[in-house]
This record gives sequence, structure tokens and C-alpha cells, in this order.
Amino acid sequence: MRLEKCWFCSSTVYPGHGIQFVRNDAKIFRFCRSKCHKNFKMKRNPRKVKWTKAYRRVHGKDMTQDSTFEFERKRNRPERYDRNLAENVLKAIPKIDKIRVTREERHHKNRMKGKKEKLLKEAVKELEQGISLVKAPSVLQQDPSLTLPKIKVKVSQQQSEENHAMEE
Amino acid sequence: MAAAFASRCSRVGRSLSGGLSNSSPGLFTSSHGMTCNNLFSQQQRTFIQMRTVLKVVDNSGAKKVMCIQALKGKKGARLGDTIIASVKEAHPNGKVKKGKVVYGVVVRAAMQKGRCDGSEVKFDDNAVVLVDKQGQPIGTRVFGPVPHELRQKKHVKILTLAGHIA
Repeated sequence: MRLEKCWFCSSTVYPGHGIQFVRNDAKIFRFCRSKCHKNFKMKRNPRKVKWTKAYRRVHGKDMTQDSTFEFERKRNRPERYDRNLAENVLKAIPKIDKIRVTREERHHKNRMKGKKEKLLKEAVKELEQGISLVKAPSVLQQDPSLTLPKIKVKVSQQQSEENHAMEE
Repeated sequence: MAAAFASRCSRVGRSLSGGLSNSSPGLFTSSHGMTCNNLFSQQQRTFIQMRTVLKVVDNSGAKKVMCIQALKGKKGARLGDTIIASVKEAHPNGKVKKGKVVYGVVVRAAMQKGRCDGSEVKFDDNAVVLVDKQGQPIGTRVFGPVPHELRQKKHVKILTLAGHIA
């Protein structure tokens, strides 16, 4: 039983699933479902379609280089059956899976590192701009402590002179 | 000429989809932007039946044949089936001449065919290999990929001659 990869979305194609298209140059395209097959017929590039594995890899959203991927590579040379080797492989598969999952989580965590601060900054900025929607302007005039502290910026004398000249 | 044909195609598509959407709003969405080319690329592939023109992928001398009888099935022939065909185009010094009635095995079909493992396989075009009444190929070479289902149909000679087995 061989588990193939979908040509378009790179998901696993289990036996009895999907469709196989053979081009006249004998290249075989396997698709996991009609969604991928239709996208292929529409001549869509999987690197530009956002939900595919190819897009995620190209845009740095998924891991591209990792030693755990080496185990999943397709090997065309048949391996001589060895019971001990088969047993060791079956024991190793869950361990390798676990390692890959933890590495993917770490990769995701690193990718999302600066997101919280960015969102916080955006929220503060939005609050500054739309404070009048939260508190009425008349109330803000009465109690200035309700407004966010304004940052003072020093303007050089030369710049102020230029502005004065422009006004004249 | 081509532009007129394209506009006519798009008009036909528009009128059809428009009629449907008017009769039952919300069920269909009319796609006015669909081009004629896209319309043809998405067409439904079907059986090899009478008057289907097929490509000959061996060196028997014929280039194109037209199916005149599918020897199996009510609807038509599929991948691996045998057909009777008439030679429509041929090389000048080949084994078969134009107008000759020949037998052929369908080695590639654009219509998908279910495999024993549950998956489906389909090819780029419709192609045949010309055979005699005993099922032996007339040519000595087979070009392009052929499916391994031919082994079940007892066309082992075609498989041995083929370059790629899909």
C-alpha cells in the first residue's frame, strides 16, 4: 500500500481515493479530490493558491528544511525485507512524527512572535484616533486626564522660522 | 472570424445561463466572464462511439481512424476495449491504406476509468493501436504511455512494445 501525494495541494492520497491524470509525455498527476483536479484544469499555479502546501512553503508559513522530511522522501529502489528493520521503523515513526510536530509548533511560535505587540500598538492608535466615539468632546475638555498622554516632540527653531516665512 | 465565433459562443452561454437564472433565482449564478476556450476545456469527456476520431499510436501506417463499431458495451468503448474503425488518414507507404476497415485496441482514453484499487485514471487524448482479428498488433512500436489494465485484457504484446506503462 503506497500513500501518494496530491500534485496540487500536497496532501496524502490514500488508496482508492482521487483521480490520476496521465499526460502524453507519461508524466502522472495525482489529485486527492475534484477540487484539486478542477484547479489543475483551470491552469492554476499551486504556488499562488493560498490554501496549498506549496504556497505556505514559498511564503515561509511552513517549514521547508528539516531532517524529518528526509524520512518521508519517495524511494523507488525496493528495500530487502528485514523483520528487525521493519520493527525499528514502526517504532521510530511515532517518535519522528512527534519531533516534527514540536518543530512545526516552534516555527509557528517564532513566526507569530511580534504579532501581539503589533496588535496592541494598532489598538492604542485606533483608540487615540476615535476617542471621541468613546467619550464626548465636552467631557474630555472638562477632565483632560481621560485623554491619552500626548507625546511632545521638539521642533527645531530653523523649522519654525521656515513655517513663519511660508505663512507670510 | 475567430472573434465572431468567440462572441457567438459567449452570447450563447449568456443566454442559457440568463434563462436559467431568471426562471429560478438563487439557484444558478450566471458567469458572463467565461471565455469560449474555458468552455471547451471543461467539456464532459465521454465514451468512444461511432464517428469518434482517434489517433493511431503505432507504426502501422495509419494516422487517424474513425470508430465505426464498439465491440463491447451498450454505450461505447472505453480504455482497453476493442473497436472496429475506418482509416481516415494514412502515411503513403504504410502497412494500412486509407479507407481500410481495421480492428483497434483503445490504449488511451480521455474519459476516466476506475481501477481495481478504487482510484480513477484518465489520459490526454483518445488513441488506439491497430490489431488483427487475433489481437496481435500490426505495428512493431507503440508510442506514448499505455495503462497496465491491458494485461487483464490479454494485450501483453502491446505492453511489451510500449515505452511507458502508467
